Amino acid sequence: MFRLDLKDRQMGLYFRKTAAALLAGAMGLTSNAAMAQEKVRVEWWHAMSGRLGEIVDQLIADFNASQDEYEVVGINKGSYAETFAAMIAAYRVGQHPTLVQATERSFLTMLYSGAVVPVGELMEAQGYEIDWDDFVTPVADFYIVDETPAALPFNSSTAILWYNADHFRAAGFDGPAQTWQKLDEQLYAIKEQGVSDCSMALAGDFIWSMIEGYSAINDYPYATSANGYGGLDTQYIFNTTQVVGQVERMKKWIDDDVLQIAGQGLSPTQLFTSGDCSTYIASTATHAAVESGAEFDWSATFMPHEEGTAEPLNSNIGGAALWVLQGKSDEEQAGAAAFLDFIAKPQTQAWWSGETGYVPVTNAAYELMLSEGFFEEHPTREIAILQLTRGEPTENSRGFRFGNSDQTFAVMNEELQSVWTGQKTVQQALDASVERGNQILRQYETLHAGK
Amino acid sequence: MLASEPMTGRRDAPARPFSRFAQRLVPMASESGLKAAHFRKGGIAAWLLAPQLLILLFFFFIPSWKALSLAFVQVDPFGGTTLFVGLENFTRLLASDSYRASAVFTFWFTIIQNVATLGIAGLLAFATDQVIRGRFVYKSVILLPYAIAPVISGVLWAFLFNPAVGPMAQFLHSLGIPWDPNRRPFDAQVLITVAAVWKHVCYDYIFLVAALLAVPQSLIEAAALDGAGPVRRFFTVSVPIIMPTVFYLVIMNFTYGLFDTFGIIDAVTAGGPGGATNTLVYKVYQDGFVLLDLGSSAAQSVILMAIAIVFTILQFRAVERKVNYQV
Repeated sequence: MFRLDLKDRQMGLYFRKTAAALLAGAMGLTSNAAMAQEKVRVEWWHAMSGRLGEIVDQLIADFNASQDEYEVVGINKGSYAETFAAMIAAYRVGQHPTLVQATERSFLTMLYSGAVVPVGELMEAQGYEIDWDDFVTPVADFYIVDETPAALPFNSSTAILWYNADHFRAAGFDGPAQTWQKLDEQLYAIKEQGVSDCSMALAGDFIWSMIEGYSAINDYPYATSANGYGGLDTQYIFNTTQVVGQVERMKKWIDDDVLQIAGQGLSPTQLFTSGDCSTYIASTATHAAVESGAEFDWSATFMPHEEGTAEPLNSNIGGAALWVLQGKSDEEQAGAAAFLDFIAKPQTQAWWSGETGYVPVTNAAYELMLSEGFFEEHPTREIAILQLTRGEPTENSRGFRFGNSDQTFAVMNEELQSVWTGQKTVQQALDASVERGNQILRQYETLHAGK
Repeated sequence: MLASEPMTGRRDAPARPFSRFAQRLVPMASESGLKAAHFRKGGIAAWLLAPQLLILLFFFFIPSWKALSLAFVQVDPFGGTTLFVGLENFTRLLASDSYRASAVFTFWFTIIQNVATLGIAGLLAFATDQVIRGRFVYKSVILLPYAIAPVISGVLWAFLFNPAVGPMAQFLHSLGIPWDPNRRPFDAQVLITVAAVWKHVCYDYIFLVAALLAVPQSLIEAAALDGAGPVRRFFTVSVPIIMPTVFYLVIMNFTYGLFDTFGIIDAVTAGGPGGATNTLVYKVYQDGFVLLDLGSSAAQSVILMAIAIVFTILQFRAVERKVNYQV
């Protein structure tokens, strides 16, 4: 009975995914047959839901209306993780889509999967000219490998500091300070003056912003081999840098009820947009939720930096890119290329950025938005792009390329939670994160040796 | 195995635990009441068995084989590269603190969940007989949780007990309890256990009510004539008679606790804080389907299978001899 049940569970999951893939395939067959004479169907699996999903649908409709050879069909597969898992299950049985949206964190996993067609090669083969030099530096630097873009940056973001301007005024401040030390004093002042019970809400992806982003901005090394850009032999070393002090500060804030963990069942964004929490460090893509949900005088500014850091560097990118998968017909690949070309156009980029809050990823799109006066009307929309492009990127700030980075993210999350619960000291938890993270890196290196 | 300890039944059960099954395997040694059909030719038997065997093949043998073969390799999730690593997936698991912590939590979680579910369901089932007015409402309210999907109920529990906004959490705070499942592992474990029990009480309740209804009225009346009160009648007459149902429920509760609670865990704590509510099955799911470490996930499911087999055998040996199937 036990044995059966265990297997049922696994088969259930497996079958659900396979069934979904088969169903998608079957739908592809029928509509292919119906439209064989007219349009080539290009399937795109993405992770954009809610308001972002509506904007994506609009984008697809615009593309489909702009030409009559191809029809892009967008399918929302849930979260990034769910989309990724669905794509892999489908790939193993040959029922995968032509295009898939994958996060920046899964970059290396996708790059060496042997399952993708590098976007640069595809565009060249299909006769499209894209000015890759025009892409904003940290974005281009991240997605271009050996001078060929592996994927097309689509929805790129970075973390910024959101704040409740009413709360700051009530506490006697013009706005958040630009160093962690001064911000610390402000957050305690807000708490002690009774302006709010929650000075800051902790985002679910704080490791990306408050640890990785923190290391980039302050020019601290995160791992050897230029944070993975130098090769697969990279090793994490963030347990030896100021990250220790950063996590200790966060622990102090949590203990003093300055920093609020939202926990399951509640989105930390809601803690900010409801006016409960005074600050929030999160992606610029939060604009969609804040603009529609916050009924107070909100604003945003750059991420803080350390007091000793004279010139803060660029922050790290987040968001996702579009990948083209192998094993598709020439027509489908041509359709994918046409769609990517459409997305890379400055007009599309500017429209997408304006609608969503993601950064414009090309200089042309950025200039277009500047010339339209978009940022004068929406000043907080410009923070992310300014923060991403400031200074000259160093090895510590250009980005993070780690194999199976999702696994390390989960490990760090677990370890840091044991700091919040008091089961481990900050140093113990970071040492354990590094040790377990390095095991994951070595596992990836063994599996992908010689790539 | 647990719930039966205080409810020791008659001692005249077969000495060898599997002897009843063994008897069925010997075709001609049928005793009265035990029916056996014999086919002259094997063909029909094979055809009749085929559907069940096919189901077993596709839903048990092939997946088991897959899990076994994956447990000894490291594999790129896309299926491009496969490296044989021998027992490395297992040694890494057994050396991992978080895996051991997960095993310890799973052990206590399933046991406490089992005892609490049976205890509460038993109490409610016993009370059903005593409720005269509004019996229908009483039953409906108890059965309601079973109709709610685990993830939905998980979200409800997570919200109600969320330390920032949850009304139940506010209530606990007003009593001076520093309730915070995000920062206090024990709180998270209590929350998971309560949510899991709440979800499963109705299942046990239905079976126990049905079993209690089947207890011969004559026995109860005889006990009542001898002066036994409702509680005494329940424990000395009803409970021994419903032991087979209780034994069945103990196993079902273990199955539920081990394998079916991961929807609730995913929604209420996602295994946190710091892995405090990470059960073995949730870890299989997390590592395999979210983090795509297929080799480790397969090794974990092989270990789970071994644990399940050992548990089942132990349960039958320890408990079955104390259960009386004949009324």
